[in-house]
Amino acid sequence: MNILRTLLVLLIFPGGLFVLLNGMIYEWADRKLVARLQNRIGPRWFQPLADMVKLLAKEEIVPASGNGRLFIWLPIVALAGVMTAVLYLPIGGLQPAFSFPGDLIVTVYMLSMLTLCTGIAGANTNDHFSLVGATRTLTQLFSYEAPFLLAMLGPAVAAGSWQINDIMAYASNHPIILLQPVGFVIALIGLMGKLEMRPFDAPEAETEIVAGALTEYSGRGLALFYIGRYAELVAGLTLMAAFYLGGIHSPIDYVLKTLLLLLALVGVQTLMTRLRIDQVVGLWWRYGALLVLAQWFVTIVLKGIVV
Amino acid sequence: MSESIGQDKKRFVIPIGPQHPALKEPGHFDFTVDGEIVTGATVRLGYAHRGIEKAVESRNWTQSLYLLERICGICSHVHAMTYALGVEKLAGVEVTPRAQAIRVLVAELERVHSHMLWLGVAAHEAGFDTLFMFSWRDRETVMDLLESFTGNRVNYSANTLGGVKCDVTPEITTAILKGVDFLEERSQHYLKVVTTDEVFLQRTRGVGTMTKEQAELLGVVGPTARASGVTRDIRVEAPYSAYVDFPVQTVIAEAGDLEARFVVRIKELFESYRLIREILSKLPEGELQVRMPRKVKAGETISRVEAPRGEAFYFIKSNGSDNPERVKVRTPTLCNMGSVVATAVGHQLADMPMILAGIDPCFSCNDRAVTIRDTSGTRYTWEELRRYSIDFYARR
Repeated sequence: MNILRTLLVLLIFPGGLFVLLNGMIYEWADRKLVARLQNRIGPRWFQPLADMVKLLAKEEIVPASGNGRLFIWLPIVALAGVMTAVLYLPIGGLQPAFSFPGDLIVTVYMLSMLTLCTGIAGANTNDHFSLVGATRTLTQLFSYEAPFLLAMLGPAVAAGSWQINDIMAYASNHPIILLQPVGFVIALIGLMGKLEMRPFDAPEAETEIVAGALTEYSGRGLALFYIGRYAELVAGLTLMAAFYLGGIHSPIDYVLKTLLLLLALVGVQTLMTRLRIDQVVGLWWRYGALLVLAQWFVTIVLKGIVV
Repeated sequence: MSESIGQDKKRFVIPIGPQHPALKEPGHFDFTVDGEIVTGATVRLGYAHRGIEKAVESRNWTQSLYLLERICGICSHVHAMTYALGVEKLAGVEVTPRAQAIRVLVAELERVHSHMLWLGVAAHEAGFDTLFMFSWRDRETVMDLLESFTGNRVNYSANTLGGVKCDVTPEITTAILKGVDFLEERSQHYLKVVTTDEVFLQRTRGVGTMTKEQAELLGVVGPTARASGVTRDIRVEAPYSAYVDFPVQTVIAEAGDLEARFVVRIKELFESYRLIREILSKLPEGELQVRMPRKVKAGETISRVEAPRGEAFYFIKSNGSDNPERVKVRTPTLCNMGSVVATAVGHQLADMPMILAGIDPCFSCNDRAVTIRDTSGTRYTWEELRRYSIDFYARR
């Protein structure tokens, strides 16, 4: 029975198939909404699925330069990282599949696996576009990661727990978005950095470095990286909704809150110009990190007063 | 094999082109980078050489007009107009004021469509796709106007030797005025966006700055020169066609950076709108065409027209037959290309697509001929060269 449940959790819900489909739907919603706001028609509803089917069916070309085995394994590790993170999240408005004290830290680090793998994948070839893309991917990782992590830990500090379930229970009774507005904004923008959405798409700026770190990827490897990114979109939105929008209590709650956040992401994507990588680093370390630290200070002081 | 591509350990080269998402036409740029900073830039052109100048020599004067119009897909009218003006000058034919005014009308509509297109492309290079999509949507207005006026969206064929083909009717006047009103309103909005959007300004203000001295030294033309404070506009300096009766104001900016180029091009749109309205309200009466001799008397001339990108230059030589003996074309992109290489060094790699787009390049237009430096000093005649090429491919 236990094995059956574990398999179900890993492959069907909440990990595996459900997150995959959910990610594709959200990816479609993202593309469609951006397209409509830009006065374009946008993709049809099954476009991400069709892309994946096509890519998975295609031949994977492994470049002669770099380590071939690493080239094949990196997308798998990246996807596995995101899928692991999903297990600790209240996906679909239900209880997380697994939970233990400190799972927040594991989740946030698992979510970074994708970016890390992308960076290594880019560095693992001799292609100059990939190398520049990898440099940018990792530079961006180091600039948003600390503020993003701090912003995610803000609610944890307020709740006094490192467990996602506890923090969510605390968030249900406290309007965290009002208490920590700066943390919310930083976390949202950090999520855009993670997903390499405009204005943080310098690592894959197609007018400069073609497809960045993933230039050499085709077929299955590329599809796995894309699926990883779709799943990461779902995971990030869920985490944000659980912490900052008063927790997730039912499937409808889940859909409404994550879509609301997605709408915010769409708005920013439409309005912004791509930032140069030096501007990204400047933005995060000059403003992001300092603001989130100030937020932490306020949170701790407030907590001291209340207790 | 893969080791040797652009890597000699000391230099890290980012190759842009001949096939690259930033380029809509083939050109090749090698940017040597140190991290993200560009330390060297080279350009190689000539991928889209089509031998049009040579082909013109085997066609008669009228056929050549349509071939030359196809040099550029964006400023096609300019090429036909430059050629027609030159041939008419050679033949000593006086074109009616009405035909000249219609030529200028189409030229200005074309400038509107070209500048709107550039606005979108430049915004896309910076990653501002919303502006790209919006400006191209609005550009459709002027494309539709050109289509309903001349019958074609791209190669309008409005010119003939000795006049124009299409006449301005009351209906088309109303349509153009309505379209221009709409475009003027939109252009105001775009001017506001490119001068006030903070994020976009971070990518354009102070980027790719070219001083007035540099601009004069490099001999840049068109809006690129005018954005650096150089008053260089053939419409003003050497008025041709109907620009004598309908003068234009030169729009200049002093800053010389990318923002200035945006501002200059958008403000030129307003000047074009004003001119279009003026021409439509004061259109001279008269015939559209005058008779053109089949053979043009021997002689040579130059003809210059201000294309949307700058000066288009034609040298036309006739030997008195019904074919041109020589037509030499120089398009503005070639004059401006040097400024890309000159301003690239010291900027970030991320700025390269924008600096390149800043001159509004049109690669196929400027690819005229490739000079092969043959150290042996062999000189071929045309016939020998033809023979040589046939043998060369037969040997392969």
